[in-house]
Amino acid sequence: MDYNGAAIVAMKGKNCVAIASDRRFGVQAQTVSTNFKKIFEVHPQLYYGLGGLATDVLTLSEIFEYKLSMYKLREGRDISPKTFANLAASTLYERRFGPWFVEPVIAGLEKDGTPFVCGMDLIGALNFATDFIVSGTAKEQLYGMAESLWEPDLGPEDLFEIISQTLLNAQDRDALSGWGGVVTVITPEGATTRYLKSRMD
Amino acid sequence: MADRYSFSLTTFSPSGKLVQIEYALNAVSQGVTSIGIKATNGCVIATSKQTSSPLIDDTTIEKISVVCSSIGLVYSGMGPDARVLVDRARKAAQQYRRVYNEDPPVAILVKEVAQVMQEYTQSGGVRPFGVSLLVIGSDSTGHYLYQVDPSGSYFPWKATAIGKNMVNAKTFLEKRFSANLERDDACHTALLTLKEGFEGAMTESTVELGIAYSEEVEVTDSSQPSGKRRERRGVFRKLAAEEVKDYLANIA
Amino acid sequence: METLLGIVGKDYTLLAADAVSARSIVVMKRGEDKSRPLNDHNLMVFTGEPGDAVNFAEFIQANLKLYEIRNATPLSTKAIASYTRRELADSLRSRNSYAVNLLIGGVDPKTKTPELYWMDYLGAMVKVNHGAHGYAAYFCSSVFDRHWKADMSLDEGIALLQKCLHELRTRLVVNQSVFIVKVVDSNGIREIQV
Repeated sequence: MDYNGAAIVAMKGKNCVAIASDRRFGVQAQTVSTNFKKIFEVHPQLYYGLGGLATDVLTLSEIFEYKLSMYKLREGRDISPKTFANLAASTLYERRFGPWFVEPVIAGLEKDGTPFVCGMDLIGALNFATDFIVSGTAKEQLYGMAESLWEPDLGPEDLFEIISQTLLNAQDRDALSGWGGVVTVITPEGATTRYLKSRMD
Repeated sequence: MADRYSFSLTTFSPSGKLVQIEYALNAVSQGVTSIGIKATNGCVIATSKQTSSPLIDDTTIEKISVVCSSIGLVYSGMGPDARVLVDRARKAAQQYRRVYNEDPPVAILVKEVAQVMQEYTQSGGVRPFGVSLLVIGSDSTGHYLYQVDPSGSYFPWKATAIGKNMVNAKTFLEKRFSANLERDDACHTALLTLKEGFEGAMTESTVELGIAYSEEVEVTDSSQPSGKRRERRGVFRKLAAEEVKDYLANIA
Repeated sequence: METLLGIVGKDYTLLAADAVSARSIVVMKRGEDKSRPLNDHNLMVFTGEPGDAVNFAEFIQANLKLYEIRNATPLSTKAIASYTRRELADSLRSRNSYAVNLLIGGVDPKTKTPELYWMDYLGAMVKVNHGAHGYAAYFCSSVFDRHWKADMSLDEGIALLQKCLHELRTRLVVNQSVFIVKVVDSNGIREIQV
């Protein structure tokens, strides 16, 4: 969990949700790349982030891509955030005694537009939150920032600002994450993704 | 020559038929009639459970089965064969719940059961099922009535019948069915249809009814500030003897 | 103690590996080629437990060859890297896992686009413009950051590589005097002397 490093956060807003991550890929203290993908799209109304061991981030995102494609073909519809959360949790629990070292964060809007964020631990214990979810080596810093900046019923632009500040200031105090950021805000109209410049030290 | 294709293996006849499947359909058409109707606010299945002897204790016989909390089915044909399918359907529903923590959509469950039936037309050492099923259920996309046949093919219906009296019953339903039928009327129509060609007396112990619909309920939800949320969920349930009795009272 | 280096240039990738085969404190050989061609336009350089690493590289090489025979078409660099990554990731959770770090470099012969993938023994993979494995990474990452730029000519690429090797020879305690350097471009794979 502390080998590669990550900072991932998701927040609820008013009729919108946001999810953000850092972009560093490193092996312990050594940074290898600054454009590593940790947030993945399921469909325009549902995104998820994976924080933890990089090899498992890649493998699990491939497993999810497979399972979600099969779901869409079988059921002929997009998966709902809640259903995906349960799918992710049962996928992790399948490996109860040899887990993927990954803590997922899920953010999306339900079909009726209800904001949804949730997280889980590496064996799929779900945590449905009313406010925000964090994951990665910068988890503690993210909690601190989110706890002090977040407030209920933020609009998409305010939510973008709050989640960006939460991410940037949290990852600056974590040696294993940072080196740029990416923020996706999901509204009923669709998702917008913006990249953040940040301290590169 | 023809009886060459009559043995257990399902084999194509030179004309391209699978006679074993046709035989299975014959077994179904000798079975007790079952009726299914899709109404505006739900679906209904009905069947009779006549016994071969008055000495049989019919209080414990159930021909309509609950598959999961939102789906149920009835069969026409061979009871023991149907039990195998009910077991498989229940297992499929629980496996789906295990992964997604919600009931399967009706179409998914039907596909699963139909796949089992298809496998029994192509596998070695087995014979096709001697049953047709009427599956009803309610999910987030609506409520449905499906018929599944021994070949593994399945169709969604507005109203249909399987078993002994199916041809007459379907003609009857064609006359009686209307698009704005409500669930209560559908129960009534199902019993009326069943009455055509019913052997013996129709009582609450010789008739079974099952209904599927959706209802709004309050559920606990820790992700809401209030800790709860209202949600629509599908329900399948069998009607109790008293409820059946009330419907029967309205039938001349 | 082993070194791998990789650079993406204008229309080529440059890969280098030290040629030292050491056992404990003894140098057994100074001409060990730690690279395997995967097809005409893709090359892998690797380090790890000698038996393991060669076996793994040749396993990948053989499977990609088999794919080409079966399908009469070579895989892209990205597909090769993804396949190799999955083999490593699956191996990681098996009883006897491969401990092999590698770089995969290649060029699409049609578009002449060069690609370089960095991968460790866990199966963590990332597409990079320059990459290094081993102690060399501590010395060369900064050299790459300072001097690498997009669309370098082959001469510029070789000059950058020489800067790295020079840094290693002056600052790394281990004497890695011999390197095998290979270029992959639309003409194929060839070894060069630097």
